[in-house]
Amino acid sequence: MPTTASSMMLKDFTPPFDATVVTLLREWGAEIIGKANCDEFGMGSLNTHSVHGPVVNPFQAHSSSVPWVERERRSAGGSSGGSAAAVVAGMCSAALSTDTGGSTRLPASYCGIVGFKPSYGLISRWGVISFADSLDCVGIMTKDVSGTRHVFEALNVYDPKDPTSASANAREMAHRASAGTWTGLKGLRIGIPQEYFPSELSDEVLTPVRAAIEKLASEGAKIIPVSLPSTQYALSAYYVISSAEANSNMSRYDGVQYGKPIYMSSFRRCSSFGSGLHVPLPPASDLTNTASIYSRTRSAGFGPEVQKRILLGTYALTADAFDNYFLQAQRIRQLVRDDFNRVFHVRDFLSYSPKTPTAERSEPWAVPDDEVSHPLRTGVDVLIHPSAIRTAPLLGAPETDGLGAYVQDVLTVPASLAGLPALSVPLRPRDQEWPVGISVVGQWGCDEMVLRVGQVIESFQRRTD
Amino acid sequence: MLLPSCSPRTSLVVQRLHRAFHDKRWPGWQVIIGIETHAQIRSPEKLFSSSLTSSLGETPNIHVSLFDAAFPGTLPSLNQNCVDLALRTAIALNSRIQTCSSFDRKHYFYSDLPAGYQITQHYAPIAVEGSLRIPDRDTPIRIKQIQLEQDTAKSTFDPRTRTSNIDLNRAGTGLLEIVTEPDLRSPEEAGAYVRALQAMLRAIGASDGNMEAGSLRCDVNVSVNPIGEPAGTRCEIKNLNSVKFMQAAIIHEVHRQRDLLSGDDAVVPQETRGFNQDTFETFKMRSKEDAPDYRYMPDPNLGVLLITPERIEETARTMPELPWVTRIRLLERYKLSEQDVDILLNLDSDREDHTGAVAYFDRLCTEDRNPRIVFNWMIHELLGRLNAAKLTFAANPLSTIQLGELIDLVHSGAITGTSGKLLLREMLADPTSSQTPTERARSLSLLSTSSGELDVTSLCAVAIAALPAEASAFRNGHKNVLNKIIGRVMKDSRGRADSKGVKECLIALLEQGGGQ
Repeated sequence: MPTTASSMMLKDFTPPFDATVVTLLREWGAEIIGKANCDEFGMGSLNTHSVHGPVVNPFQAHSSSVPWVERERRSAGGSSGGSAAAVVAGMCSAALSTDTGGSTRLPASYCGIVGFKPSYGLISRWGVISFADSLDCVGIMTKDVSGTRHVFEALNVYDPKDPTSASANAREMAHRASAGTWTGLKGLRIGIPQEYFPSELSDEVLTPVRAAIEKLASEGAKIIPVSLPSTQYALSAYYVISSAEANSNMSRYDGVQYGKPIYMSSFRRCSSFGSGLHVPLPPASDLTNTASIYSRTRSAGFGPEVQKRILLGTYALTADAFDNYFLQAQRIRQLVRDDFNRVFHVRDFLSYSPKTPTAERSEPWAVPDDEVSHPLRTGVDVLIHPSAIRTAPLLGAPETDGLGAYVQDVLTVPASLAGLPALSVPLRPRDQEWPVGISVVGQWGCDEMVLRVGQVIESFQRRTD
Repeated sequence: MLLPSCSPRTSLVVQRLHRAFHDKRWPGWQVIIGIETHAQIRSPEKLFSSSLTSSLGETPNIHVSLFDAAFPGTLPSLNQNCVDLALRTAIALNSRIQTCSSFDRKHYFYSDLPAGYQITQHYAPIAVEGSLRIPDRDTPIRIKQIQLEQDTAKSTFDPRTRTSNIDLNRAGTGLLEIVTEPDLRSPEEAGAYVRALQAMLRAIGASDGNMEAGSLRCDVNVSVNPIGEPAGTRCEIKNLNSVKFMQAAIIHEVHRQRDLLSGDDAVVPQETRGFNQDTFETFKMRSKEDAPDYRYMPDPNLGVLLITPERIEETARTMPELPWVTRIRLLERYKLSEQDVDILLNLDSDREDHTGAVAYFDRLCTEDRNPRIVFNWMIHELLGRLNAAKLTFAANPLSTIQLGELIDLVHSGAITGTSGKLLLREMLADPTSSQTPTERARSLSLLSTSSGELDVTSLCAVAIAALPAEASAFRNGHKNVLNKIIGRVMKDSRGRADSKGVKECLIALLEQGGGQ
């Protein structure tokens, strides 16, 4: 089966090997029915930057009987909009996606399905075409949380082929911590991060999210307002880091091994490579110059969004800008991690090194009080916040261009920067309304806890029927 | 000597400084040289993939994994064997091993770089601050850093078809980049440094260090300045693949830069230069302004490489003997001359497998054997025969037990030296024979059955009888003819006779008129 990453560059590329996740799914008995549309190399929030064209959100309220052709054409979200659309349209029972800064959770939110980005390093990336390796995660999309849990259990396996695959020890520690001490909702401590309710948040999102939180409180969960002050810098840091890594990962598509080299000078000749040309080629220059062949090939093979990010990443990595952009962004990334570690009850098993030997602690997964001055005394189990600032935007709307598109990711990137598990659960829309997603975020490795809380929220939606 | 208290060592330094500063080729100028060496790591597998490394001349593109070809979706996996060899190198170079190092991507577009980046250690190399001693210099050459990195693929241009061919066999092979401080002061020191490094890398099994085959490559930074003035602007000469070319390139570069500095502009532009092996000249490749920005970025997949103190200790403990330690041992234990030690060390390029010349020599030198005699047999006789047959020492078919037995036969007087040489020739001609050297000597009738039993007198009498013309010529005063008769006796005795005894016996017989 070809894998194009929705790019002209990989138009005719059929990989000679299966990704670890595909092998695992097949072993588990799953049937792979096809590959889905996405933003080119995962870069986008609305699945509009694709050589195959945009994904139209297939969601329709139960009560609606408007024929397909007459419906509003809304975005399915991105980058894994095709996967979300396939699930909401009932074409498959589960879809895999990627999530670098929200590419699973945002489409899930816009399409009204469950979207899960597990902890970084739990699911193998071998065979996943890299966008930004330090952020890329394989995501899971299904209609309900139990479906997501099933797929996750099949894929949550150590893979020696992925150097970032989490060790058995880290998995085991986190799994034990994830079991939690609460039953039902009694004793569950939920943090509500104030920075995740910005002024841009629309009422159509705020109202159902607030109702869901109130419901959780009424069922016995303890709701605790928390602050993650570095959140405001997260989006900028995310775009610097992800673009730098993208710039690096896109380097292999130069027309020698991947992509078609363009040697000819005339625009017409180049056009014959297909209608996928996004930009006119630079004026004819020295055809024997290898650099000009690279630039022509890459100008023709990459779409404008990918080109924009390559240029941003190139700049961030140049010798003059490296300290002010790339390193600065890495510092912010650490601040974002520190924020999360400050509020969670469970420690970060990936980077935390205890001052006291773990064995001497009765609760080895908990952050000892004497090591962290905890503003909340014991910390929270999970965080809850809206998945997106709005419902699915109309395709072609002005806010879906430029920076407007980047702001879509503002609520999802912090969990990506910190490598945390994050689950978007759909809140049942009222008649004629577009879906809204609520996100549950946990400490690294506490994927099971996040899924359990997600399942509780999901059950409330059914009960209101 | 100016100061009576001046130690001989200090005066030596002064002498050498004087010599370096007053090089006859460029009097009044100081030359400053730094070298970056890329040594292919002698590991069966590549640095980040499990495909095999290859040697020169293999079918192109047979040792290529998905990762080596930069297939989308592939990820690196660090080969710990390469790390161990880097640690050995770091220990041999007396350097400080970083307990925490990391990998970075160096980006540039080139057809022999499938991923568009090379994984190297730019920001945190595996080892820093080392040193290497070279002959004829008191201060060691300081090593700035040692880093692990990937080799590129190999591209060759076919001018007939006007196509570039890419061979990915080499892509991803582990390299050790070893960078000196600008401590070298002459082309000869640069050559000595590379040879010392080469010998060390071979001795510890870290690299074949074969410059001609491309497993050791040098980039050289050269600057010149009038003595007493600050260092000049350096130029880098890329990809020098023999010590001879490296030295020639430095010499050409010194003259070129000196001429520029003596000219009207008095400026050396900072450049990257190549070396033309036909004209022995350097040529401009690119200027500083054209230097690429490699956009170094920490590799997001590989994380940090943690080296525990236990691992460093273990590596140091299991380290093969270093060449300079071997040298001292050979000099002190066996009392060999410097020259003989050089010969052995130069032969010794494959020591890790214990087939090397030094290990062979060590095994031969048992307590009851004289090391000098062993050396003569091993080098002058055995190696001489091998070289005459256009074979290297590595092709030597004789075990140390076989050669040792031969040496003992001669030493005990059981056979003569001449017979020993004949026996060696026979053994080399049929090395697979099941006969021991003693059995073979017996079957060739080389053994003196016991001392004195060889009847020299009758052999001499037979020879005089067989050469009557020569005998009478001797009696008529032509003393030189005697040698011909001696030769006849030696031949008849199959080398067993002692030529001095034969001579005395013949003179006695001839003078008493015997054999007429």
